[in-house]
Amino acid sequence: MHEALHQLLACADSVILGKRTQIRLAVCCLLAKGHLLIEDIPGVGKTTLSHALAHLFGLGYQRIQFTSDILPADIMGSAVFDSRQNSFSFRQGPLFNQMILADEINRATPKAQSALLEAMEERQVTVEGQTYPLPEPFFVIATQNPSYQIGTFPLPESQLDRFLMRIELGYPSRQAERELLIGQPRHRLIKNLPVYLPAEQLAALQHEVAGVHVAPALLDYVLAIIDFTRHCDDYPCGLSPRAGLSLLAAAKAWALMDQRGAVLPEDVQAVLPAVAGHRLSPGGRDSGATVAPILRQVAVL
Amino acid sequence: MMVGALDRRGLSFLLGSLLLITLPHGWHIPWPLFGFFAVMLVWRFMAVRYPGWLPKRWQLFLLTLLGVALLLSQQRGVFGRDAGTGLIVVALGLKLLEIRGRRDVLLVVYLAFIVAASQFLYEQSILMAGYILLVCILLLATLIVQTAERVETRAALKTATAIVLQALPLALVLFVLFPRLEAPRWMWLADDNKALSGLSDTLEPGSISDLSLSDELVFRVRFEGDVPPPLLRYWRGAVYSRTDGVRWTVDSSRDTSARPPEFSGDAYRYTLLMEPQKQNWVFGLEMPESFGAGLRSIHGFQLRSDKRPADRAEYKIVSRPFYNTGPLSPADYRENLQLPLAASDRQLALIKALGGGNASPEQFIQNLLNHFRREAFFYTLAPPLMPENPIDTFLFETRSGFCSHYAAAFVYLLRIAKIPARVIGGYQGGEFNKVGGFLEVRQADAHAWAEAWLENKGWVRFDPTAAVAPERVERGVNVDLQIASGAVNFGPLTGDSAALNWFKRGRQLWQSVDYNWQRWVINYSGANQMQFLRTLGIDGISPLVKWLLGSLLAVTLPLAWWLLKKPAKTADKPLLVYRRFCGKLADAGVVIGQGEGAKDFAGRAQKQLPELAGRIEQISALFIRLRYQADAKAGDLQRLKNLVDAFSVKKRR
Repeated sequence: MHEALHQLLACADSVILGKRTQIRLAVCCLLAKGHLLIEDIPGVGKTTLSHALAHLFGLGYQRIQFTSDILPADIMGSAVFDSRQNSFSFRQGPLFNQMILADEINRATPKAQSALLEAMEERQVTVEGQTYPLPEPFFVIATQNPSYQIGTFPLPESQLDRFLMRIELGYPSRQAERELLIGQPRHRLIKNLPVYLPAEQLAALQHEVAGVHVAPALLDYVLAIIDFTRHCDDYPCGLSPRAGLSLLAAAKAWALMDQRGAVLPEDVQAVLPAVAGHRLSPGGRDSGATVAPILRQVAVL
Repeated sequence: MMVGALDRRGLSFLLGSLLLITLPHGWHIPWPLFGFFAVMLVWRFMAVRYPGWLPKRWQLFLLTLLGVALLLSQQRGVFGRDAGTGLIVVALGLKLLEIRGRRDVLLVVYLAFIVAASQFLYEQSILMAGYILLVCILLLATLIVQTAERVETRAALKTATAIVLQALPLALVLFVLFPRLEAPRWMWLADDNKALSGLSDTLEPGSISDLSLSDELVFRVRFEGDVPPPLLRYWRGAVYSRTDGVRWTVDSSRDTSARPPEFSGDAYRYTLLMEPQKQNWVFGLEMPESFGAGLRSIHGFQLRSDKRPADRAEYKIVSRPFYNTGPLSPADYRENLQLPLAASDRQLALIKALGGGNASPEQFIQNLLNHFRREAFFYTLAPPLMPENPIDTFLFETRSGFCSHYAAAFVYLLRIAKIPARVIGGYQGGEFNKVGGFLEVRQADAHAWAEAWLENKGWVRFDPTAAVAPERVERGVNVDLQIASGAVNFGPLTGDSAALNWFKRGRQLWQSVDYNWQRWVINYSGANQMQFLRTLGIDGISPLVKWLLGSLLAVTLPLAWWLLKKPAKTADKPLLVYRRFCGKLADAGVVIGQGEGAKDFAGRAQKQLPELAGRIEQISALFIRLRYQADAKAGDLQRLKNLVDAFSVKKRR
């Protein structure tokens, strides 16, 4: 199973070039049962990444393109009148898939955004008083354009908190770009990708993540980080308890991906920019710079 | 990077505590200096908000010149308590505008400690001590805020309080046992410009009635046995034997020691705690028989001290109420009959009417007292002015006066009748503090009475005031009412208990606390210390050193045990061993960062010291297993220890 995970990562690397860390963070997010927010300008491979991941994990995939006129019903589905049975029946929307790519989420109105985010949090959808569970696993990759672009509704802090991680892809390196230019079109490559980790194995891995050992000394470190963010003047507000839980869950998944049975401070540090960046500085783009004081000043030993 | 040290909150906190520390100096140092400091402080406060407001270098230079000019204009010299305090306060104000880094903040805090300590040069009351202690907690908290990586005011205050509380037992031991520095060595620090009230060596017509409106404490007395009844509470001060008809003065040319009288009656043993005085007079109960070193009885049996009158001092005295001073020398005889003018006809007529010249002196004095008692004489705080020939005016026209009028007129008449007599100034009465068990004598208890010399009896006390207003002597003065009304008021008729309401009780309690503070803390001089230590059996340097070290250990060991016990629970043995390993690597120039984990550090160290890569890997893996993993084995810690012990690097040049 771990071997399969390894092959999966190597395969993803061959499709999305030069984005090793981001791929690992995305997989880590999936293993930690969290949702992922990718923030970048159009065309750097956000869709490709999510598409490739869906294929590699063999998940049912649906892309929802968010526009300014999208309605909650367009996402969740709606009750439709069935003339033969003379009653309303619920027609599932695109949300009822294992992996959702919510593209350009900040182009939609807050109403549509919150419909998606509620579903993400509760993993179920309620329409007309009837509750419908979402499939398992349920993983949302939302992409968002930088908020300085025209026609965007930035996600409020409370909704950013629903995403376990936020990553930035950034431009590829010169070498990666050259390979991209001479290689095959990506969508054709993705179509032919094998499934490395089917859903039941993913569930087993997710279960395994929960069992990764956390030593008291490591908890002290995580608590020190949280405490630091709450007292440091650089941050408008500190990490919430949910953020603390997210940080630990992500660090556990990271340790598992590194084939270790216990979380090390390095695991926490590796996921910290992605987990804490958007929570500590919602508008900011450079997560690495945001968490740099934490990494520098909070004592590990 | 000055992230923690110079942030707004930390600076505001520092400035706030500085304000509290310097505030009491507002009463002592000249207002231009204090104003200068206040302006600097406010300026710095504003600059916390608007950093652009800080002065430039040349502006600072001008400000410094201004500060120096202010200092020179306000102080007469460079040395002395006031000059030194002024200098420190002005320097502190200037330094505030120059805070650029942590170094400056620390300097300001240390300066502030000096300012806090300098308060004690002015006032040593228990309230001030408490205030300074609180302020020191604030200062310590500022230090903690400045040095901690995170700023949390409440936690810093808590820590500072803990530090001060832990230091108190040590301070107590050092206070009691450490040899006292004697005051004279730093007397040059004190300036004698404090206005003190009290009796002076000239008895002017209004001088005692001025004092009667002051509740300022003069001295306190603790008796070892019985407390003398109010009628015997005459506290002897100056002996006024010379007069020009209006004023009575002490004849300082006869400032020689007196031949002790013969004593009889029960002895009263007591301890007198004098408050700061104008003169070095000590007011002994009539008549002091024996007194400790440092006191001498001069002509007229007045006690004088060798100490500085501005300091509080404690004296042990034994007095007896009955005494015979024996014969009078011819010079004394002449001295105590001295009169500035010839007697007037009215005076001579009065003396004749009272049997002067025919009756015995005792009989004449009795007649004179009866005259005061029977005729319409009034006892009042505010007698009419008697600018011309006051004795005559008082005796025959206004007939109302205060104790000094009665005493002066009494002595004057006695002298005309050829009986040697003199006026004695001192205090009479005193309020008994039931809580503390001591007598408090205030300026309002100031009194003047007379002494006449009688054959075979020597000098005998007569109090003409007692003839006019016996309540004054029997019941004492009701200080509060007297001050409130501006008129004579005496104490309650019956015992104190009925009138002792909660307010009075509270005041007595406070007086008692203050008395003990004065007695045991302020007045703990070298001599007192030696005496106290001797009762503990410490009579030399080596037992003292043993005691000092012993009690320091006795205080610090439990504290240290208590402090060290707590971290011992969380003390992480693998971490300690690993730190040793980091120390060895640091010798080789590979220093672990604060935010660096063991795994990353190992990778870095392996790159820098490839020849030791295997060892580093082994040690780091073992440490990580011990610290973070669930599968650590029993022998791992020992193995880690052995590996770290065996680990050695070449020290980098």
